[in-house]
Amino acid sequence: MTTPSPILSVRHLTTRFRTDRGIVTAIDDVSFDLYPGETLGIVGESGCGKTVTSKSIMRLLPERTTIIDPSSQIMFEGTNLATADDRTMRRIRGDRIAMIFQEPMTSLNPVFTIGWQLDEALKYHTDLGRAARRSRAIEMLKLVEIPNAERRVDEYPHQLSGGMRQRVMIAMALCCEPDVLIADEPTTALDVTIQAQILALMENLRKRLNTAIILITHNLGVVAQVCDRVAVMYAGRVIEVGGVRRIFHDPQHPYTRALLDSIPKAGRKEHGKRLPTIEGIVPSLFDLPKGCRFADRCARCQPLCRDTEPELLPAEGVGESHLKRCHFPLSQAAPVTSASHAAMTSSPGARP
Amino acid sequence: MIAAFKRLKASRGVGKFCRNRLAVAALGIIVLYALVGGWVALGDLLPGRAGITYAQVEQPVWPTPINGFGIPATNERRVEAARIITREVKRAVNNGEGFTDIRYGLLHILPGTADSDTELDRLSTLIEESEDLYDQLSEFDDLNSPEPPTLDDGAPDPDSIDVPSTIARLEGAVRQMFAPLSGWQSLKQSLLHSLGTDRQGRSNFLRVIFSIKVALQVGIVVAIISVLVGTFLGAAAAYFGGWVDHAVVWLYSTLSSMPELILLAVLVYAFSGSVFDKVSNPWLALVPVYAAMCMEFWIGPCRVIRGETLKLKELEYVQAATAIGFGRFYILLKHVIPNTVHLMFINFSLLFIAAIKFEVVLSFLGLGVKVGPSWGRMIQESTQEVINGIFWQIGAATVFMFVLVLAFNIVSDALQDAFDPKHVG
Amino acid sequence: MWSYVARRLLYSIPVYLGIILIMMGALRLRDPVSAYLGKNATAETALLKKASMGLDRPFLPIGIEDPAEPFGIEPIVEVGRVGFYPPLRTQYVEFLWRILRFDFGTAERPYRSWQFESDNVGAKLADAVWPTLKITIPALVLTATIAILVGLLSAAYRGSVLDKTLMVLVVLGMSISVVVFIVLGQVFGSSWLNGKLGFELFASNGYEPGIQNWVKYCALPVIIGVVVGMGYDARFYRAVMVEETSRDYITTAVAKGAPRHKIIFVHMLKNAMIPVITRIMITIPFLITGSIVMEYQFRIPGMGKLLIDAIVNKDFPIIQTFTAVLAGLFILTNILTDVLYALVDPRVRLA
Repeated sequence: MTTPSPILSVRHLTTRFRTDRGIVTAIDDVSFDLYPGETLGIVGESGCGKTVTSKSIMRLLPERTTIIDPSSQIMFEGTNLATADDRTMRRIRGDRIAMIFQEPMTSLNPVFTIGWQLDEALKYHTDLGRAARRSRAIEMLKLVEIPNAERRVDEYPHQLSGGMRQRVMIAMALCCEPDVLIADEPTTALDVTIQAQILALMENLRKRLNTAIILITHNLGVVAQVCDRVAVMYAGRVIEVGGVRRIFHDPQHPYTRALLDSIPKAGRKEHGKRLPTIEGIVPSLFDLPKGCRFADRCARCQPLCRDTEPELLPAEGVGESHLKRCHFPLSQAAPVTSASHAAMTSSPGARP
Repeated sequence: MIAAFKRLKASRGVGKFCRNRLAVAALGIIVLYALVGGWVALGDLLPGRAGITYAQVEQPVWPTPINGFGIPATNERRVEAARIITREVKRAVNNGEGFTDIRYGLLHILPGTADSDTELDRLSTLIEESEDLYDQLSEFDDLNSPEPPTLDDGAPDPDSIDVPSTIARLEGAVRQMFAPLSGWQSLKQSLLHSLGTDRQGRSNFLRVIFSIKVALQVGIVVAIISVLVGTFLGAAAAYFGGWVDHAVVWLYSTLSSMPELILLAVLVYAFSGSVFDKVSNPWLALVPVYAAMCMEFWIGPCRVIRGETLKLKELEYVQAATAIGFGRFYILLKHVIPNTVHLMFINFSLLFIAAIKFEVVLSFLGLGVKVGPSWGRMIQESTQEVINGIFWQIGAATVFMFVLVLAFNIVSDALQDAFDPKHVG
Repeated sequence: MWSYVARRLLYSIPVYLGIILIMMGALRLRDPVSAYLGKNATAETALLKKASMGLDRPFLPIGIEDPAEPFGIEPIVEVGRVGFYPPLRTQYVEFLWRILRFDFGTAERPYRSWQFESDNVGAKLADAVWPTLKITIPALVLTATIAILVGLLSAAYRGSVLDKTLMVLVVLGMSISVVVFIVLGQVFGSSWLNGKLGFELFASNGYEPGIQNWVKYCALPVIIGVVVGMGYDARFYRAVMVEETSRDYITTAVAKGAPRHKIIFVHMLKNAMIPVITRIMITIPFLITGSIVMEYQFRIPGMGKLLIDAIVNKDFPIIQTFTAVLAGLFILTNILTDVLYALVDPRVRLA
């Protein structure tokens, strides 16, 4: 079976920011592939660089203070988005790659109607006439399951609830049938019931339009539900990439393992037990350690870990489909553990 | 409140402010101005020993107007000055008294001493020489561009005097009439002359420095009172709500519906002819001006603090304090207001600038400072001079005021940048 | 929305009444008549003057009569020393009644100025309005336009050399007092410039009616007004625009592929218009007052000069009327601002 080529290929993406305390590297050497029609999840805790990654792809970061390293490659349909000029980006945005954001309450322009905002996207990227655009707009609203679409199309954003606004955002993003949809924590600001609906909606649309989705979230439950593959990020780096099933079942990086372990579980067996947490805190981006960035918090940390940063390499015996950035991945024998991290190894399900 | 200040000092905003080198420099300039103003004010407390008094400012430092930066005046003026001084000294010598009345800045005539006869003789000689030179010069019709006198055949007259050197000799003679100045004193004297004089011969430098005190006085009094009143009323209005809020909002809506200058003018009308006009004490005489400005200025801080308090009121620590049972006034004073201190500072600096600029306009119109110099009065008095191309007075007043206002603008910008999270830089 | 407007109008009434009350009270702190007559006042002339202006009447419908200075009218009923007077003949109410009818002196029912005994206050105000407007309206239009442009440019190219230069210039303009600009403007803008040009382009002061004289008499004050006023506005508009650039919906618009000029002039501008309009509207009542300093120095017979002269000469009727009219205008404009606001911002409309 021939593996299809990725529709979006990110290699060595490095983004830096100018701040009044100096230049800080927000994401470093990020690499992953996105295949057509699949859902790739990017997961990690707040501040790990998920949003910076997605905005770097779309080049939505403020020009004046952002430096995308010239060795970065974001290959899409033969063009390197990292170095593309403004005109090219404008053509691609909304038309070939679309994005929806976390805060539906503020992401829509309050002084224009929904119809106008949908119309705008269509105006830039299609040749449809006014009437055609309007009917397409209504069609999209129906597609995202907004009731009374003909009436709603002339309403203002503040007249809609959060869930509905997010649907409108999705409609806006998909109205030109892009190849890629980047969804930056689309359900974080919504309550759980709406969350489920929106995710189901996105799944549906993806199947219908064959759009690849990059879903950014910090919620592993969401990842398990809708993603085909997942990339785990920590402190600005990708530390593990692979199929969702495999990673959930057989995580290689200690951080991934710890994340999975910290999901609260129901059941009598779990009753009364302490919820495992990851000790320590994420290192400051102004003060990164020399070696592995997770070293301070890792139970399997060795002198090598503190000294040299591991590369993103295929897991043993699996090949390119599962990459990890660890000197001592979980599939190997456990190194001698340091006493202060003894608690980590006693969590249930930990593999030596 | 002390704890509030300590907290403020340690907060991130102060650090951010200090990293802004331009703002720190501007603050330094303001401190400089404050020191100068403070020193000038000492003139009220320790007249003669420190500071500058009204009497000193009003006294002419030269009989005729002079230019600043040491640029010599027109020949005519120079000769005129020499003549006036010679005449005064002569009169004193003839009367045998009145020497101490002749003062131009630090220049003075030595009063009678043990060697008074020698001194008088010396003066008399100088007077003669001066009068002599003056007579020579008065032959010319136009000293400023004197035509070299010619003989009948058009050749220059070799016996005629050379005007510039003669004037120099004249000035030399006059200068010798005065008691010699020590190095330090002559430095001070040239400082007095450094920015020229107005038409009455008063030192622009002295007046502009004195005006610093006036400006600072007005700025500080008005800004402090307005900020305190506005803060207290605004916080109370937001915190207590109800009729207090309605009353305060009504009050500032009412007052702000009149443009400031008009309200000021109306107030001035109400106050005019009252006791304040007749008072000579400069501090009291400005009370109508203070009152008028404060009545408009308190509104700004009041609105801002009220908004901020409305926000703070809902925060948990205020609710916690209430739950513990602290009295409302106590909470207001100890918890709410200290958290608005950064806004108080910002408003203080903004109002300070506004007060200074207002004072200038008022004094210019004749409604503000009526006794003694201020930047506004200097500008107003300079209108005549400017028509004749003399810019010393207006230049001095403008530059000094400009630097202070600019410094304050920079500082308030930096303060807002550092402390107000909503501010856009 | 109309209920909102109605409520605002209703609420404004006590505000306005309060303003008039305070203002009239302030003006009467010192007896206006003696202030006007000065040292020449004798008891009789004072009383006569008072009666002629109605100043001998009670201020409010309820009052206590001072036997030394009796009121000129009889009370309806007296309870002890407190008298109730017919409201329409009391000063406060009568003046309010005048305002309501906008009657400040007609041939039959004169309301004369004290300085200009033959002129009604109303007529004098009407005469003075037009010269003032000839200066303030062009100044407002120019200032707003230039300031918005400067603000837009600065915000769009935030942090660039252009932005920094513009802001520096603007702060410099703000730090020099308007009076300096006036003095220098009069010297350089007219005398010196006219000399260089060989003809009189700008007069250094004075005024003649007629549109053909506008450049000669009004252009210079307008220019000075713009230079001075632009600083505050430009900074404010810049701040508004910059805040707009950081809004989420702008990111959305960029993500949709909108071109830069559309982002600035369609998305940002419409949202920024709200505070911009508010600010412009706030300055509208002050169009009428004009700049007192400007009119005084340039000797333009506008509202500002009228007021200052009235104050200096203690012309009570003019002062009172002027402030009443102005306050009323101010309140009306505030309400108008709110209405405009609602038209531009759909969120307010349906509230």
